[in-house]
Amino acid sequence: DEHQGEAKSSAVASSQIFHSDGGEMEPETMEIKSVSDYFTKMHMGSLMSRQKG
Amino acid sequence: HVRYRMEVSCLELALEGERLCKGGDYRAGVSFFEAAIQVGTEDLQVLSAIYSQLGNAYFHLHDYTKALEFHRHDLTLTRTIGDLLGEAKASGNLGNTLKVLGRFDEAVVCCQRHLDIVSEISDKVGQARALYNFGNVYHAKGKSICWSGAEPGDFPEEVMIALRKAAEYYEANLAIVKELGDRAAQGRTYGNLGNTHYLLGNFAKAVASHDQRLLIAKEFGDRSAERRAYCNLGNAYIFLGDFEVAAEHYKRSLQLARQLKDRAVEAQACYSLGNTYTLLQDYERAIDYHLKHLIIAQDLNDRIGEGRACWSLGNAHTALGNHDQAMHFAEKHLEICKETGDRTGELTARMNVSDLQTVLGLSYSTNNSTLSENKDIDYNLHGARPRMSRRHSMENLELMQLTPDKMNGQK
Repeated sequence: DEHQGEAKSSAVASSQIFHSDGGEMEPETMEIKSVSDYFTKMHMGSLMSRQKG
Repeated sequence: HVRYRMEVSCLELALEGERLCKGGDYRAGVSFFEAAIQVGTEDLQVLSAIYSQLGNAYFHLHDYTKALEFHRHDLTLTRTIGDLLGEAKASGNLGNTLKVLGRFDEAVVCCQRHLDIVSEISDKVGQARALYNFGNVYHAKGKSICWSGAEPGDFPEEVMIALRKAAEYYEANLAIVKELGDRAAQGRTYGNLGNTHYLLGNFAKAVASHDQRLLIAKEFGDRSAERRAYCNLGNAYIFLGDFEVAAEHYKRSLQLARQLKDRAVEAQACYSLGNTYTLLQDYERAIDYHLKHLIIAQDLNDRIGEGRACWSLGNAHTALGNHDQAMHFAEKHLEICKETGDRTGELTARMNVSDLQTVLGLSYSTNNSTLSENKDIDYNLHGARPRMSRRHSMENLELMQLTPDKMNGQK
């Protein structure tokens, strides 16, 4: 009824107003793997072994 | 000779994919990585790097199902070849992806694996990163459980437990990144710790954290982070009851949003300012900001935002006694709620329209001063006249829920 509607609408109002997302979050940090790093290391390794040989 | 050419080709494609992703073109990066997989490689380290980067590219493109698929491939592969550090990284990325997908229990397992491996090899940087991810998972878990209009600090125990865990992980992370002198990482953690304290209802602690975040954002000239900090500070000051201070922070956030040319966050700042001036009972200013919000919402075709703006404008005009204007916005609010299927909003709008019809009907038979007298009487005598008193009691309820500290403090 009316009373229920009142409680509902005010609840929506307050939850929507200032904290719709509970604050703006910082970005995630993803772990990074790289082919070029690995390739450089591998390449360096083979150069070194060639020099040694 | 053929295999050598194939390997070179796979590497070349992957390197191009890497270059494109570093430049932010994830869509094109994905094509190159997928082409590299098509060609294939016998080097499992290269394959792991490709899977991982594909997962991250899809993550940035918000295709989390695909991100999950590739981070899973990476995890399986690293486990198979016994690459422990690779497994730690794959677990971390999988944890972040599962978190976004709302699969928190699985995410926790991944974060724990990430943390266990880096702790085992005494990798401080890795530990800090794993702890940050862990905190993020618990923060998201807490937030996901209950969001049905409850106020910060007033959530069910299950939510509070998750949020307290998040705060613990963020604190543990802070101890390490401070020791390492990693300011960028400190900034991120302070931001999320501040939001965790906010949800826990520790508003003073939230302010302290966001102040640190702001300081670091300024050090780096990171204006997006600066804008976030101002916005989050504004939110915390609202709950501390310092509406004037909140307004100042929202204004800085608005300035930065304009400089950054981010229309959506500009609209959000205007909306927050409109609400803050409503709390300050400066309805003219509230209307000014809600109108600014309305215009942007219309430009961006954001019907939900537009509905919210109309509802706020209706309330502000009602407070000023501009019942014609109030009716205009209440009707618009009703129309939008019907369109967007917002049943609760529709109910609110119908009540507002009906209340205003009563007031406007009255205004034909009586002059304005009598009307405003009636309004005051209704306000004082709760329930004497159901329609008008309902509107006023509703507004009070909103303010009470928004600012319990301030309201109690004033009385």
